Order: sequence, then C-alpha cells, then structure tokens
Amino acid sequence: MVLLLKCLSPLGFITRRLSAPEFITQCCYHKKVVDHYENPRNVGTLDKQSKNVGTGLVGAPACGDVMKLQIEVDDQGKIVDARFKTFGCGSAIASSSLATEWVKGKSVDEALMIKNTDIAKELCLPPVKLHCSMLAEDAIKAALADYRLKQQDDQQEAVRASN
Amino acid sequence: MLSLNYLRIVCSSRALLHPNWLMTRRQCVYEAFTCSAHCMSTCFPKKDTWHSNTNLRKERKLIYYTGRVSSPRNYCTGRVKVSCWNCKQPLDKTPAFFCMSCKVVQPPDDGTSYFKIMDCDCTFTLDTQKLQKRYLQLQRSLHPDNFSRKSVREQEYSEIQSALVNKAYTTLLKPLSRGLYMLELKGMHIEEGTDSGADSEFLMELMEINEALDEAQTPEEANKIGRDTKGKLTDLTKEIDDALLKGELQTAKALLAQMKYYANIEEKVKEKLSEFM
Repeated sequence: MVLLLKCLSPLGFITRRLSAPEFITQCCYHKKVVDHYENPRNVGTLDKQSKNVGTGLVGAPACGDVMKLQIEVDDQGKIVDARFKTFGCGSAIASSSLATEWVKGKSVDEALMIKNTDIAKELCLPPVKLHCSMLAEDAIKAALADYRLKQQDDQQEAVRASN
Repeated sequence: MLSLNYLRIVCSSRALLHPNWLMTRRQCVYEAFTCSAHCMSTCFPKKDTWHSNTNLRKERKLIYYTGRVSSPRNYCTGRVKVSCWNCKQPLDKTPAFFCMSCKVVQPPDDGTSYFKIMDCDCTFTLDTQKLQKRYLQLQRSLHPDNFSRKSVREQEYSEIQSALVNKAYTTLLKPLSRGLYMLELKGMHIEEGTDSGADSEFLMELMEINEALDEAQTPEEANKIGRDTKGKLTDLTKEIDDALLKGELQTAKALLAQMKYYANIEEKVKEKLSEFM
C-alpha cells in the first residue's frame, strides 16, 4: 500500500476504483492510462439507428469487461465522430478512449489498419493488460463491420426501390 | 545448472494446478530428479544439501523439489510411493500433511487437487460450511506460527502447505473460481481476448445493466440491480452444476463466462453502495 501511494503522490489523486486488486498487483498504471481513465475522451452514445453510425459491442469473458465503440461516418467515407462506453479495468477504458481519438479523421479503410500493438505501445501497457488493447481493436473492427453492413443494406434497398 | 533449469520448467506452480499435465510428464520429472540427484551429490556435500538449496529462495517450488531428491522414492508403473523425508517411513494417506510415525510436517504432494486437500468431493455443489471447518482445522495444525521453534526445513514446508491450503480454500469457496478450477482440471481455460462467439443481445443487456448502475441516483436503485444480479448468478450456478454433472464442458465454459460478467456487476454494485455512504 505504501508503494502504491508513492507511485501516485505526484498525481495527487487516488480513487476507489484505482485501489482495485488488478491495480495493486501491477503496482502502477502508466500515467497515460491514468490520464485516459480520469479524463476520458469521447464518452457517450451516438444514434444507433442512424445509417451513418456503426456500433461495435465486444466482451472479454476472461476478465468480464464490456466495451461499446461507435463511429459516425460522413458521405465521403471519413469518420467524423466516435464515442465509447467501457465497463472494465483502467487499461480497457484507456484503450477504448485512445481508439476513439485515433479513428476520428480517418477513412474507414485507414481505421481498419489500427493495431492493438500500436494502442498497447502508446499506453505502455504491461503484458498482463495486452488483451485490453486487443479488445479495443476488435471494437473498432466490429463498429466498421456494422457500418459496412448498414451501407450494403442501404444500397440493396436503393436497387430494389429503383426496380 | 542445466538440470536445475529443467526442474524449474517442470516444477512451475502451474504444474500443481494441472495434475493431468504432471501425470503425462512423470517420465520427464523422473529424469529431472535423477539428473538433479547426480548434480546434488557432485556439487554439494550431503549434509549441506538443504542449506545450499535455501539460497535459491526465489523459486520456492524449486527448493521443495531439490530438497526431496535426498528422500528415497520408489518409481513403479503404478502410483509413486512417497516416504517421509525425516524417518523414511512410507506416507500412506493422500494428502499427507504430517508423517504418521514421526509426526513431522511434509511438503505438499504433486498434483493433489484442491478438492482432495480440502477433503471435498470434486463437484460444483459444495458445502461451504464443511469447507470452512476443514480450512480452520488444517490451518490450526499447519500455520507457520506453530513452527517457530522447529527446524528451517519444517518452517519452509509449513509455509508452503499453509499457502497452498489458503489457495485451495479461496478457490473452492466461490462458485465462479470453483467452476473455473474444475474446468482447469479437465484442461480447459477461458481464453483471454474477445469472445467472438458472444451473443450480441447478451452483451447489449450487460451494457444496459452497467449503464443503469452507473446512473443510479439512490441506494435503492443500486440494490435493485444487485438483487437482480444475485438472482441471475443463482440461476447460472444451477445451470453450471447441471452441465458439469453431465460432463458438458463447453456449455459449462460458456456459462462460467456469463457468470464472470455478472460477478463483475455484483462487485460494482458493492462499490456503488459504498459511494452512497
């Protein structure tokens, strides 16, 4: 516990969640992870029914984390907005927060290139938390797949309507 | 020393959790023992064997195995017969915490499951009261505090045994860890990473429960979610019991995964309620 306090004293805050067991075993979350945890970017929801919104919902059964990531794509195929909601450990929250930051401004194809290893590297995730970055990558892919499916359905509908 | 490194690989803590794994590799263990015995006799004078080994404090399990090399072992095609390290009498009971003849504490036997240690049937439904009684009974005799005046070797063994009993107790106490351990005994694990086969409706439902809990304004709202979650966990416990009795391991695995999600929600309910205080 003393080591824990020493790690965090420069940051000046200890919340209840940060005293969870996985925190203690790890000794210290990296300050980037703590930053995303305390100041998460893009928390929220987009309209699931909208044709321009893709929703990715993924779960990690080993640790019981649940992650939802949504993207809004404009007519040129560029991601203009992204939101996330994650219930899980600090690393999972940070990974999904970073993912929403990264997808913004990218095209759908560019967003597909985001790898979990890039996320893990950016957040300096320890080996035991690498699966959290994997979860974020899967969430991005799931959201893009959902968007693609909606676009295909849309096109099929347009074809049927014109016949 | 190459043989000690070999021992290190074989005798990792995971081996204690995987009795099946250890059984198939008994040949390797035998080879490692005989290699190590040779090394021990050439590198260390016999009387100093134990004290030299205690320098390898980093690998506790390693100490245990290298220490036991000096005790006689009978290798036959059937069960390995273990003798007391002190008086050399055979240890008939499994698990044998103490020698029947000289009453000295013994190191844990490889591959003994937590169920055997805690004297419980290997079933998902467990009498937790009986488990608790057994735990207290074992710790009364095995706790290191009882060995402060005994030899270093006995103190080491009591520490290892006491820690093992703690691990066995905490694993078997909760249904989730118990179920996961039962799967492990059969060689199954829940893989890390995304569950590609997860039902999206189920995940949606989990998301909604988590969001409702997050937005709960009163303890009553949080308590309601807590009660619903407890109900779901009770139902899942029954289903997992059925699946394990029928030997339907894949079903049990999927149900245990669901249980993990709800167990997390239960933890969050407790945190939420403490925030209201």
